[in-house]
Amino acid sequence: MMDTNAQARPHDLDAYRHLIERLPVTLRPSLNQQLSQWELLFPFELNRLAAFMKGVQAFSPDALDALTGPLNALEMKMGVKQWNFSEASDTIENASLLARSAYYAEWRREVQRVFEAINAAAIDSSPAHIESTRLILLVLPRSLPVDPQTIWRKWDPRGHEIGISGDSERLSELVTQGQLRPTGPAAMQAQPGNAEASDLWLIEADGKLDGTLSSLSPFAVTCLNYETLKPFRDRFLAELNKAPKSIQVTDEIISNLRRESWDGWSLWPPEISGQPRLRKFVIDLYLSGNGALIFSNAFVEWAACEAIRRARPRTMVARFGMRSKPKPFTSIAIFENQQRVSSLPDVDDPENSAVDAAILAHYTWLAACRYPEGEQAICLCVSEFLNSAYLVAPAGKNPGWSPGRAVTPEEVYAWIAAQMAV
Amino acid sequence: MDASRRDLLKSAAILLVDQWASLRGRAFADELSGAARKDERKIIVVACGGIRRAETFDDTGIGNISHLYREMLPRSVFYPFLRNAGVTSHYNTISSILTGNWQRLDDWGKTPPASPTVFEYLRKLLELPQDDAWLISSNKALSSRIGASSIRDFGPRYGANVVFPKQLLINAVIRAASQGHPEHSADRAAMQSEIEAVLLHTDSYEGLDWSVSGDASLPDLRMQSSMLQAIEDLVRTNAPITGDEFTFLVSQEVMRRFAPALLVMTFSDVEVAHFGSYSMHLAGIRTMDRLVYELWDMVQAHPTYSGRTTIFVLPEFGRDFDGSSNNGFFNHRSSDDSTSLTWMMCLGEAVQTTGVVEQPVQHIDLCPTIAGLLGLKPLDLPGRSLPGIRMGSGTQ
Repeated sequence: MMDTNAQARPHDLDAYRHLIERLPVTLRPSLNQQLSQWELLFPFELNRLAAFMKGVQAFSPDALDALTGPLNALEMKMGVKQWNFSEASDTIENASLLARSAYYAEWRREVQRVFEAINAAAIDSSPAHIESTRLILLVLPRSLPVDPQTIWRKWDPRGHEIGISGDSERLSELVTQGQLRPTGPAAMQAQPGNAEASDLWLIEADGKLDGTLSSLSPFAVTCLNYETLKPFRDRFLAELNKAPKSIQVTDEIISNLRRESWDGWSLWPPEISGQPRLRKFVIDLYLSGNGALIFSNAFVEWAACEAIRRARPRTMVARFGMRSKPKPFTSIAIFENQQRVSSLPDVDDPENSAVDAAILAHYTWLAACRYPEGEQAICLCVSEFLNSAYLVAPAGKNPGWSPGRAVTPEEVYAWIAAQMAV
Repeated sequence: MDASRRDLLKSAAILLVDQWASLRGRAFADELSGAARKDERKIIVVACGGIRRAETFDDTGIGNISHLYREMLPRSVFYPFLRNAGVTSHYNTISSILTGNWQRLDDWGKTPPASPTVFEYLRKLLELPQDDAWLISSNKALSSRIGASSIRDFGPRYGANVVFPKQLLINAVIRAASQGHPEHSADRAAMQSEIEAVLLHTDSYEGLDWSVSGDASLPDLRMQSSMLQAIEDLVRTNAPITGDEFTFLVSQEVMRRFAPALLVMTFSDVEVAHFGSYSMHLAGIRTMDRLVYELWDMVQAHPTYSGRTTIFVLPEFGRDFDGSSNNGFFNHRSSDDSTSLTWMMCLGEAVQTTGVVEQPVQHIDLCPTIAGLLGLKPLDLPGRSLPGIRMGSGTQ
């Protein structure tokens, strides 16, 4: 399906552009930006965009006018035509203009209404989707002394804590080494050999897991590692920090950073260098903020959330890690590279890293819950320090382990594998 | 905080204020204060960035605000339902607080507020000198334009002094790195000279985005003996020095020397949340809690302030809820209550009766309240004077 859509250009893409022209102005930047990056979208995004366009097409011109009329009227009231509003792509200025409009809340409601109607029309005209069980494995490594009293307090009440007997570190090894191969209908969705569209994403703070990957696996793996991205990240941060305190100039710098090929710098780690889609993913990640350039745990969380949103992988393994203590003076310039602006050696901050990782692991699961695939996902958050895990299973798929009995990593893995094979 | 680190920041703050004071021929407020000045009401507003109720006045957050909760809440008028119905960005929110109108401006401070600030009302209508109006902020999202509006009959000639102490530290850190000696950032004595260099070797305040004395001229910089002493006291530690700590120390020095009628402080350590460190965000809340308590202590102890000072403490807004599409505590973009509903505390002289006022109030209510407390007749503003506050005679 990906190839069909990827090969849709140029005729279909032109048709899409015409369709976008029929939509209200404030809906256009995001859609135009995706079209301009068609080859760099993930298969899920391609399918979703194609389906959305199909949904727009499903409306007759009169019906589309009726649907979008209130939003068009609202844009008139907001004065969008008088704004310096980019239709080509999402910009900081666009977001700022919208957010400071007195009609912002109303605008958000209208946009949601229009999108829901178009998406509903798209679903009506699309074949039924095959659902398969997914896995989100979140790892809080042994080095992070999480608080046993509070660690699972905010988690999904549908789930429960399980004790792990033996070495809980074994669990993530089993998943990365193992053969979580789908069979039956689920196998149809797998993407053998295509790392950029892989079913297994491995995102980690410190590169402990990628060495455990099985070279025998027929399924390609997407690996993102905060540590190995350091040369690229440092360079990117230095460029980004050149932005002055001006929304317009910052938008220009961001646009240039997006367009920059970055190939000539030899900064990419080997697992990414040959994969333009992943390189683009990392750049988008860094440009969308949320600490991905600064803290390893923020990188893991945001990368996992964005991968789940954009690629909907079947298996997501996100391993958090340690951050250093802030150094004197550099902590007030937090957007800077601490290693560049201070010669003091890094010192681990295990307690506070644990606080950060615990909430960010939870956020990763909350992000997954926003999508329909989340309903079919097994979420397992493992604290290696506590030899404990929190398991949220899809409805009707609870393993039924008796409360109070610790289970071995092998038992947990076997249960996961059995669910995912269906 | 260790004593030497505190000494360093304090000395740097003293240096800054000394420079302004010497430039303007001002001595300590205590030395200048006549009977009339001592009778004046004083207002201090502390705005603390984006903080959710979940991390403060909820069961889950009380531990982060032990001073506010245990020691200050019983002495306050507490407003548990403070609504930010405007744009939940820093520049727009602070502008809205200052003007009593919801402002919808460039988020990064490119344009001044579109209606007069309380600074301008006070200075124009009560003929207060500029030394009576200060805004001292940690927040990089603000700009010096926030001290005065674009309204022709008001504007910068009636504006406040606007100072960003944290920007001085940031510039010093960046300067050290760019000049190839990052080791200075690890050494307090070396950083001291970097801080001084930023002050001494700039053409104007513009690099720091300050507006002091209504212009951007460079003060006559003189090294102070207290600064030299502080340099000697420096020790090498890994303890972080925060922007809010420095903002507070500079504010204290401004209070001691200028005794302004209105001082607005904005803290921003909590904004590290944008980078995804929850532990550092919580540390920022605890720092704010401690600094506000120290401010309260100072006000009680200092004769210029004791018995005539009212303090307002409030977050600018909350932050997005866990599970929001904006990545929860990282940001403050949603229109949900987690972001737009927060709290406010009023302490000190204007407190009529301590207790909780459950009536919803808004950020724009602060401007008319301050104006009334300082003796202005009611202004024609969308905001309304806060309930539970004792206004001066003839004002309300």
